[in-house]
Amino acid sequence: MAELVLTDIDKVYDNGFHAVKDLSIDVADGEFLVLVGPSGCGKTTALRMIAGLEDITDGTLTIGGKVMNDVAPRERNIAMVFQSYALYPHMTVAENIGFGLALRHEPKAEVTEKVNRAAQLLDLVPFLKRRPRQLSGGQRQRVAMGRAIIRDAELFLMDEPLSNLDAKLRVQMRAEIASLQRQLGITTVYVTHDQVEAMTMGHRVAVMRLGELLQIAPPQELYDRPDNVFVAGFIGTPPMTLFHAGLTVDGDDIRLKVGPQELPVSREVLDSRPSLRDKAGQEVIVGMRAEDVYVSDREGLSPLSISVVLSEALGPSVHLTFGLEGTPVDESRLGSGLDKGDEAEVTRLGHGKEIQGVAVFPPRLKFTTGDIVTVYVDSTRLHFFDVETGLALR
Amino acid sequence: MSIDTSPAPAPSLKGRRRPFRQWFRVLGWRHLVAIVAIAFAILPVLWVISAAFTTDPTISGGSLLPREPTTDNFTTLFTNPDQPYLKWYLNTMVLAALVSFFTVLIAASAAYAFSRFRFKGRKVGMMFLLLVQMFPQFLALVAIYLIMAQISDVFGAIGLDTLAGLGLVYLGGSMGVNAWLIKGFFDTIPMEIDESAKVDGATHGQVFWGIILPLATPVLAVVGLLSFIGIINEFVIASSLLQSPEKKTLAVGLYGFINQQYSENWGPFAAGALLAAIPVVILFIFLQKFIVGGLTQGSVKG
Repeated sequence: MAELVLTDIDKVYDNGFHAVKDLSIDVADGEFLVLVGPSGCGKTTALRMIAGLEDITDGTLTIGGKVMNDVAPRERNIAMVFQSYALYPHMTVAENIGFGLALRHEPKAEVTEKVNRAAQLLDLVPFLKRRPRQLSGGQRQRVAMGRAIIRDAELFLMDEPLSNLDAKLRVQMRAEIASLQRQLGITTVYVTHDQVEAMTMGHRVAVMRLGELLQIAPPQELYDRPDNVFVAGFIGTPPMTLFHAGLTVDGDDIRLKVGPQELPVSREVLDSRPSLRDKAGQEVIVGMRAEDVYVSDREGLSPLSISVVLSEALGPSVHLTFGLEGTPVDESRLGSGLDKGDEAEVTRLGHGKEIQGVAVFPPRLKFTTGDIVTVYVDSTRLHFFDVETGLALR
Repeated sequence: MSIDTSPAPAPSLKGRRRPFRQWFRVLGWRHLVAIVAIAFAILPVLWVISAAFTTDPTISGGSLLPREPTTDNFTTLFTNPDQPYLKWYLNTMVLAALVSFFTVLIAASAAYAFSRFRFKGRKVGMMFLLLVQMFPQFLALVAIYLIMAQISDVFGAIGLDTLAGLGLVYLGGSMGVNAWLIKGFFDTIPMEIDESAKVDGATHGQVFWGIILPLATPVLAVVGLLSFIGIINEFVIASSLLQSPEKKTLAVGLYGFINQQYSENWGPFAAGALLAAIPVVILFIFLQKFIVGGLTQGSVKG
């Protein structure tokens, strides 16, 4: 077990591509850190640099207080689970799991004992004599996990280990890996592009984009207080509805102009976000979480007219994709929709001047496409961002 | 709309013979091609077997079934002290086994470097190997002969008229294409397996011997087999480098039966060739089980 510290890590490939820029992260001993971001954001490169599979162009990497920049992977005492599992196809499950120990010339009896213990932990005992090709995807994944946990490594690195599994198995393994990590208490860095995994598994989540670290925080904080538009749009399913709005501040009275509509905003907003005053009379980007929109009025909510685009009854809730006249946020400032599942795809269907958003309502509500409906927004829970920098206004 | 999944009614063929022409167009010609191909492959073998068991010196006129089967030809092979067949046989087998073993080893090492490492001159090196291979080895015969002659003066053990020297010449010539062949196979083994092993604590050597080589057995078997056969068949270089009768290989020695000096000795030649084929056949059958695909199956992807 060890602490992992990345200080100003840079990765520039031979072809000049700057994959990771000035990455600085401290991972505490026993912490589960999730690196998340869209494809090509540098998260896997960062992980491979920690593993030693990729050279570090600049900066310092320490594991357990020792500088590891130029140490070979096999001497870093780390264990890694690959996206493709990378099992040794010519070895049995037992040999696969015990390979790392056998390389270290540990006594045979001890290896067998440790393999059996790991197999028990992962429910692999009946399969120890089989070869990887005779296993299902979930079992292979567990073998890859077994290969990692058997070694008393100081650090676990996982590169999208669940992305090859089907949805149901993924949910199950997600919980298993998280609880296994808590049980073993081994410092873990977990790379994923799936923000549900990011939210549910890690102690902290680091969001990366284009090689840069945008925000690192516990999952709930990331969700509640995103530092910038990108994190706001990337974290959360369904995604946050983001749009441009004109901000008017008149004394303590604050209003948003969205397209032709005026949205009154609670005074508390000004108190908790003093920097909004400086933006009075200017445009801001407003973010609205799907669950902060209601169908019925209540004290303190602000009415907003929307047009129904698509209503999806999911059982426990109804997801309503709606249109709203106004200026949507430039897509290039948001996460790639491809990495975020279908909801994101629907959200981005909007064209031209119409904002598209999603609201989550209680079950059994019926909407007809094309109808104009008045919904009520909890304005105290809105998010505000600078139009130029995309940073949160607080 | 419902989709009709019931099969279309099959045309009734029962009781009505298909016309021969239709049968021939669909199936018959394939049989014909197969028969011709089999005949093409088997007849020469039958002829050699027949020639080995007959004393009739004129192989051209003889019938396929020898009138008076005899083992005289084999006796001749093993009794004539001027033509030490057994010695040639051993020479060839030892040479072929050693050279093909080292060919596989050297080519696999080169292929591993070309496939897994990134270094200056990698591309140029690979092109160079291929380019050199474009020219037949006996194009360099004069040069090889001169080099070997000079080596003889300094270090006779690997010079002219030595099997060790001949083996080294073969090894040098067999690198290029084989390295390419093996590299192509190595490239299909996912990099992640190496990386996983490296993180698990393996050195480059352990990755090579413990992971890559076992996974590449099909191509190693093919390369080994081909170079084994190639060396048994090789004549031009062997005949120019080897002179003493007891150092000859089978190809060179057997040729002696049918060139002018021992003319019309097709019988012993056929018998000798037949015996030479046995180890190749055995090796082929033995290696066949390794020449199977799908060894890396189950390693990556769920």
